[in-house]
Amino acid sequence: MIWSTYETMARDQMEKLQLERLKQTVRRVYDHVPHYRAKLNELGINPEDIQSLEDLKKLPLTVKNDLRDNYPFGLFAVPQKEVVRYHASSGTTGKPTVVGYTKNDMETWTELIARIVTMAGVSAEDTAQVSFGYGLFTGAFGLHQGLERVGASVIPMSSGNTEKQIMIMQDFGTTALIGTPSYALHMAEVAKSMGIDPKKDLKLKWGLFGGEGSTEAMRRELQDAWGIFVTENYGMSELIGPGVSGECKALCGMHISEDHFIPEIIDPETLEVLPPGSVGELVITTVTKEALPLIRYRTKDITSLHYETCDCGRTTVRMAKIQGRTDDMLILGGVNVFPSQIEEVLFNTEGIGPHYQIKVFKKGYLDKIEIDVELIDDNLLESFGQLEALKQTIRSRLRTVLGIDAKIHLHEPRTLARFEGKAKRVIDMREVK
Amino acid sequence: MLIDQLSVFVENRHGALAAVTDALYRYGVDIRAIAVFDTTEFGIVRIVVDKPEEALKDLKADGFVAKLSKVIAVEPIDKPGSLNELFHIMGDNGINIEYIYSFVMRRREMPYVVFKTDNQEKALQILKDKGLNTVVDL
Repeated sequence: MIWSTYETMARDQMEKLQLERLKQTVRRVYDHVPHYRAKLNELGINPEDIQSLEDLKKLPLTVKNDLRDNYPFGLFAVPQKEVVRYHASSGTTGKPTVVGYTKNDMETWTELIARIVTMAGVSAEDTAQVSFGYGLFTGAFGLHQGLERVGASVIPMSSGNTEKQIMIMQDFGTTALIGTPSYALHMAEVAKSMGIDPKKDLKLKWGLFGGEGSTEAMRRELQDAWGIFVTENYGMSELIGPGVSGECKALCGMHISEDHFIPEIIDPETLEVLPPGSVGELVITTVTKEALPLIRYRTKDITSLHYETCDCGRTTVRMAKIQGRTDDMLILGGVNVFPSQIEEVLFNTEGIGPHYQIKVFKKGYLDKIEIDVELIDDNLLESFGQLEALKQTIRSRLRTVLGIDAKIHLHEPRTLARFEGKAKRVIDMREVK
Repeated sequence: MLIDQLSVFVENRHGALAAVTDALYRYGVDIRAIAVFDTTEFGIVRIVVDKPEEALKDLKADGFVAKLSKVIAVEPIDKPGSLNELFHIMGDNGINIEYIYSFVMRRREMPYVVFKTDNQEKALQILKDKGLNTVVDL
């Protein structure tokens, strides 16, 4: 089922709508946001200069620091009394990034989520358990509103208290699980230790995961562990929260709601706009937001855009799985590696579990990588040599596939950190950033 | 005689062995023999217990990576050269001993020797042919 007719709009109509909305947005930020007015004046651009979608690239880029520098409400285009909801991103350094929603923004957001949950298979028939943490983080409230909009029965479970989560899941007959992929993996492990076989004892059908990147290997892991159909969705609080894009059942990328967001791919070094299909940094312009419109926001996420019509019938552009983030790319001895690539190698190795930790440090002038994994295969206990061989297998795969040399440490099961929200798998001790 | 031995994966850190023995104690499992060899960051604890099947189930439930395997238990004759003889019998017949450890049962004079070879059935047969006392009852 397709929730909205905007999802199947012909390309020329969509572009016409985008241009009209882009013009309004540029006008709005010029008139109401001093930061943007100053930037446009600096570049000698007047809102009237925007006459085609091609003109988008004349506009200045926006970065996360622009939000921090204007903390808390400096980039808002409406007075505080128009704001009906605040959220904030988890600021790991200093102040969080604050976002706001007008009444219309809330309506837009709810509709966007209704689109992605419908795409993922959820309908009024479903009972949806939201296992994102409720609070300033956008994940829980965002999904909650949209799930209610499609008529699903929503359980606002929040994250943590995992054994109770499993109990509720069983007792309420939850059919859709919503959360981060890493927490869903942890939950599966807890369910198993409680003697519950998710495939037999639970009614789960759908897994809608987001809030952090994930790999195809992780999808398989989640599908096997829970016996569910797994889709991923994408968003970030600055843009609106979850709901920017989501996967349909064809699983060939995440459909972006282009009537609200105009995506571009740029080269993160030269900042040049790249043609469709190229891999680069995703940049998004919001064209309907009232409280916090953002022009050409640099997401730092590495992906590519695909415009061919999808098998599901939607005409909206699809973004590929996030390959990594420009700021979590590791440069190890001159080799560029995303943690997600390391994850892919680990997940495809038999004998170890899905939890891991990557540690990077300097020894002299050299970058050293150590990876902690958990042994799960008892067949390797016949001899010490088999365990050593497993370590060697992982090491040589990482060398062949990624060109990095990592020391592998085997640990007992359930000893590495588990995450209830976004996973933090990389510890870089080379220098304080 | 082939007896059941538990193999448990442990990290080389303080408290790792106690975690294993804690679990066994909690489940009322009696340890007959235990061996761990010098390792760097992880090792395999080999344990002979009175209730191997139950012990395996309990350890797994507690999250340990553990498995049961068959080892040979022999009671060598109390005379100089008896171990030498045992190793020769194995070596001369092309059987490789992967690891070996010994333990004393109370009220017995001689220690038992427990070992694992790359051909358990053949090793047993040879020991029987040579009249060596493989332990039947622990």
